[in-house]
Amino acid sequence: MTVVVDGRTVRAWEGETVAAVLLAEGMRTFRRSLVRHEPRGLFCGMGVCYECLVTVDGRAYVRACMTPVADGMVIETGASQPVPAEEHPASNGTG
Amino acid sequence: MAVVGAGPAGMAAAVAAARAGVDVTVVDGYGRPGGQYFRQLPESFEAVERTAHGRRADAVLGDLVASGARVLTSTTVWGAFPESEGGWQLALYGPGGVGVLHAQALILATGAYDRPVPFPGWTLPGVMTAGGVQLLLKSQRVLPGRRLLLAGAGPLQWAVAAGLVRAGAEVVALLEGAAPGLRALRHLPALWGQWQRLAEGWGYWRTLAAARVPLKPGWGLVEVHGREQVEEAVIAPLDAAWHPVRARQMTVAADTVVIGYGLVSAVELARLLGCVLDYRPAEGGYVPRRDAHMQTSLPGVYAVGDGAGIGGAELAQIEGRIAGIAAALRLGRLSERAAQAAIREEQGSLAREQRFARMLGALFGPRTGLFELADDTTVVCRCEDVTLGEIRRAVAGGATDVNEVKGLTRAGMGNCQGRICGDLVAHAIVLERTGRADDQGALLAAGRLTVRPPIHPLLLELLAGWGEGVAARSGDGAAG
Repeated sequence: MTVVVDGRTVRAWEGETVAAVLLAEGMRTFRRSLVRHEPRGLFCGMGVCYECLVTVDGRAYVRACMTPVADGMVIETGASQPVPAEEHPASNGTG
Repeated sequence: MAVVGAGPAGMAAAVAAARAGVDVTVVDGYGRPGGQYFRQLPESFEAVERTAHGRRADAVLGDLVASGARVLTSTTVWGAFPESEGGWQLALYGPGGVGVLHAQALILATGAYDRPVPFPGWTLPGVMTAGGVQLLLKSQRVLPGRRLLLAGAGPLQWAVAAGLVRAGAEVVALLEGAAPGLRALRHLPALWGQWQRLAEGWGYWRTLAAARVPLKPGWGLVEVHGREQVEEAVIAPLDAAWHPVRARQMTVAADTVVIGYGLVSAVELARLLGCVLDYRPAEGGYVPRRDAHMQTSLPGVYAVGDGAGIGGAELAQIEGRIAGIAAALRLGRLSERAAQAAIREEQGSLAREQRFARMLGALFGPRTGLFELADDTTVVCRCEDVTLGEIRRAVAGGATDVNEVKGLTRAGMGNCQGRICGDLVAHAIVLERTGRADDQGALLAAGRLTVRPPIHPLLLELLAGWGEGVAARSGDGAAG
């Protein structure tokens, strides 16, 4: 199957996690941290630490290490996750 | 009866109880049973050979299927509430949405996760836990990096090092914190009967020796540097309390640093339910107090496996069987005599495995210096970006326990709900107040973060849909 990672089409296999696909592509930075905007990537690998958050098919807050890939999945990395309140699309800017 | 977790302990408990005629439902957050130990390769991966371990996994999973126990996968338990008429209501979130599961007996088999160890640079991409790397190797066949430094204590990281070497990675060094010396000889009896483990350990060392991996007993990490990811690590020999001897430190180039300092038990559910916990650092931190039937301080709630004290897969299965039998007895499915006889049969291997686990804890358990590596600029709460300096200022300003520090700094308020930072904040409080990171009495006084449901982040829209016809789900997703 193929998935799209930051606009690039990448080959993936049934049963792989999003994290595995990203790491296999040499990508280490999955997101930026909430306050200090520091690069963060896979840490615990088992769904406990919530560091590996990426955006999948438009949904933010997805743990890459716990999410199996699906054909055509759109994966976006590098954003600040969780999304700061003032940048959230639902915010009216007074947050 | 509900079993939370389908790893070795949970599966053993489910099978034992189901065979006795109990109606069993097993819940697990992963897509397939097996836990971390029996994690399977995806079906689409063509295995070159079926290993002995793989065949064991097949057998255990086959038993689970044959037992008739219901298995809900990709399902997270986010809350547990006692029912007024007895038993508990488990709040679930799975592929079908939110639901509840009622159980008259509860077996917690929630497993463990790697001990978080903060040091300068630990949040850089490329710093990973040994458990996480093991999963990448075993169940995803992915190398997390090319030049890896391993720092930790105990056999888990040796297994990971060997696995990395066999996968073609360059292991720049394996830092083993423990340098047991002659004192360790008194633990020799614990190795009796553990031929399988000894053979495995021997295999790891042979692999590492053949690859000429630099083995550094009595060494540890100081800090990691890099701009956007790991670039180099500073390492040093350790004193008896595991403080780095900085005068003898050296710097090594690496793109990945693997931290393997043991496991801590996942006890959020036990705490939420109100089970009494004891602090046993060499066994995985706070663990539920249990009787000989693996029952916690709450009648009808049992805790087994690494989620109740680190002991490995063999011990987990033995404890699981005991709890499954005890629960079946409690629910009237087994006679007292049959249950006692079955439990008695497990005592020999139970004692042997407990001895081995205690030995590992004594030899490889963490020491003070491990909790004193962070400096004031080190982020301790990774989710909320709270540094050690901020936490220490909160304590200097009057905060005395972790919940007060949380209220002042936001440490522990993030997605991981304190799983990663909770103990670290307690250590930081103790360090600030006593000058030592592991004063036991002070650690207990610093407390634990209050656990409230949901114990995993849950989208509000899912809860909003709850009550509109969502009922308990069985394995195929049908309401029932």
